Amino acid sequence: MGQLAGSTIRGASSKNTFSRDGLQDSRLAIELAHYRAELHAWLDANHEKLAPPFLPPGTLDDHIAQMQRVKSILFDAGWMQFGWPEHVGGRGGSPMLRTELGAALAERDITHPGLYSLIEVLVPTLIEFAAPELAAEVVPRLLSDAELWCQGFSEPHSGSDLASLRCRAAPDGDARTASTWVINGQKVWTSLAQYSDRCVLLTRTGPADSRHRGVTAFFVDMDTPGITVRPLEMMNGNLEFAEVFFDDVLVPTDRMLGELNGGWSVAMSILPYERSSCFWQRIAYLYKRLQRLVDLAPHDDRAAEVVGHAYLQLHAVRARSRATQHRLAETGTLGPETSIDKLLVATAEQTTYDAVRRLLTGMVEMDDSAAGEVWRSEYLYSRAATIYGGTAEVQRNIIARRLLGLGSDE
Amino acid sequence: MIDPDERALMEETVRSAIEGALAADEDADIDAVLAQLGWREMLRDEPGDAIDIVFNALGATNATATALDDVILSALGREPRADLAVMLPRFAAWDPPGQIDADHLHAGSLATARAATAGEILVVCGPASEPWTVTIPMTVLEVRRVRGIDPDAGFRAIRAQGNAAGATRLAATAWQSAVALARRAVAHQIAGATRAILELACTHTKERVQFGRPIARFQAVRHRLADALVAVEALEATLGAVREQPSPDTAALAKAIAGRTARTVVAHCQQVLAGIGFTTEHPFHRYLKRTIALEGLFGSADEIVLDIGRQLLAERRVPTLIQL
Repeated sequence: MGQLAGSTIRGASSKNTFSRDGLQDSRLAIELAHYRAELHAWLDANHEKLAPPFLPPGTLDDHIAQMQRVKSILFDAGWMQFGWPEHVGGRGGSPMLRTELGAALAERDITHPGLYSLIEVLVPTLIEFAAPELAAEVVPRLLSDAELWCQGFSEPHSGSDLASLRCRAAPDGDARTASTWVINGQKVWTSLAQYSDRCVLLTRTGPADSRHRGVTAFFVDMDTPGITVRPLEMMNGNLEFAEVFFDDVLVPTDRMLGELNGGWSVAMSILPYERSSCFWQRIAYLYKRLQRLVDLAPHDDRAAEVVGHAYLQLHAVRARSRATQHRLAETGTLGPETSIDKLLVATAEQTTYDAVRRLLTGMVEMDDSAAGEVWRSEYLYSRAATIYGGTAEVQRNIIARRLLGLGSDE
Repeated sequence: MIDPDERALMEETVRSAIEGALAADEDADIDAVLAQLGWREMLRDEPGDAIDIVFNALGATNATATALDDVILSALGREPRADLAVMLPRFAAWDPPGQIDADHLHAGSLATARAATAGEILVVCGPASEPWTVTIPMTVLEVRRVRGIDPDAGFRAIRAQGNAAGATRLAATAWQSAVALARRAVAHQIAGATRAILELACTHTKERVQFGRPIARFQAVRHRLADALVAVEALEATLGAVREQPSPDTAALAKAIAGRTARTVVAHCQQVLAGIGFTTEHPFHRYLKRTIALEGLFGSADEIVLDIGRQLLAERRVPTLIQL
């Protein structure tokens, strides 16, 4: 570019020389394209074996059984292990291979994207914070059908303000030498607790007012005496979430994840994958739901406007999520900027189901067919998109302070 | 494509060259600044990067140039030059601006300020799928300066009547490609402008004190600015998708998202800029007017969304367009 192309600015690099990043990027693109092609060919060939054996909408029990069945088939065929490191039984490769698998399962209606994405939320945490032998033992069990895990973070008095959590873990003896910890307290919004074999649990180990400095994470077996699970019925009729009560629950010290009082970084480590791979899977599913809506919608300009608007939101969040995942692959970390992804996903999801209500007259409100049940359940669930995983308001607070540099709001 | 570091350096170079010129003379000839930087050579060699960098800088600095003419000319396979202007589609639309009826040409639409100085203007005619071009000497045209909402943007209204015997046929996809590239350019200009608007608003809220503290401390203010940033970053992501996977579809989506983003960012930032933002003493009003004018070039957001929705319904297919 004239001056810009001259030696002062563009240096000695010739125009056609790829940068190192560019080369890595194109290698990754090739790896992903190959994987995608092979995966979809295999899924096509095994279509009948993988399809849900029940008619929609199906109960939560049906969906859990289906997910475990599919995990088992995929694990035996070797697909579940791609993208995970070899030291936990994986086959290596880019984490984006996992994203491709999850998205393929979601868009083919093989597994429920919300349930399946728990793998993506919990396994990276175990890999980063559990003792290596423990991670090597349990990760393959979650990747296959042997186990399900849950995440015990929120409490009745600690929702948006997670650092105020109270569920107490006390050492049996001196904190530095104790071989056992005793847990007492309550969790809520624990997804699938009633089905789970283990729980990644955040506890209070510092003084009551120690906030994020006094939190410790444990990997707790759910069949330990003293744990009581009470499922909560959601407005769409599902029992996906539960309350979990801990009464003198004994946990061995070797189940501590990370350092004593280092639980906050365990909690934060979940965000990068929850907000990259899981979002991509959710977005893939939303495209399929918009496709279904387009199949059924009337052919008029009002419908065109509504569908076009939803498509715009989906495209924006897909583009954003793609960039986020490539940044994660390059830098190995993500930060407060994922609050933007979170808000965009929530908006896209709610816009998609608002479009359903506007164009399929009476479907959500009055239709008792199986299709009506599915749309209704998903419509109601979409209302929570601005609430779970950190409310939209908390995301905006983070954006204002951390990304816009507007300082503290206190 | 140019690698990210080099690109950032070039963005900075173009932006500071334009800012320097405007600081010295607010009526500086920005086309001359771009020519000096080698804009047309880069447009020939690396069209995508050239467009992204230059139009983002034009948006960020709220500068007026006629580089859009060069973008369209090069997309149509013509050599861009300062004395050849281009007739733009009608405001909010993207059909070719001219029509030919039995050798008679008539056209009425907009052009950039280049129409005031160029010797000739290129007019694309006919249905978008069967485009023709005619080059007409400016002397036989009616040209009127458009004040409109943004007199500084320099738009001209043009009417042309005459013999179309010299018209030449373009490739069937030529106009579609030109629209895609022009949309990419305008969407980048809006992206640059909305980032600049947000910076102005953030600066104001940190300095403006009411009730004994900067208004940036009030959550109502912070949330508006957060929503503005979400919109800007979403737009930038869709422009990244255009760079990775350039096509008429990704460009159309980016342009529609640019229009929506401009509305969101302008509304939130105007509200927090409040009184001072309503005066001409603060630069905000220039950006507001420019983004409103730009939103109508090569299709308003509403028209593009309607068009996309019609396509989705007609084909009963919702393509994902971009892959990981």
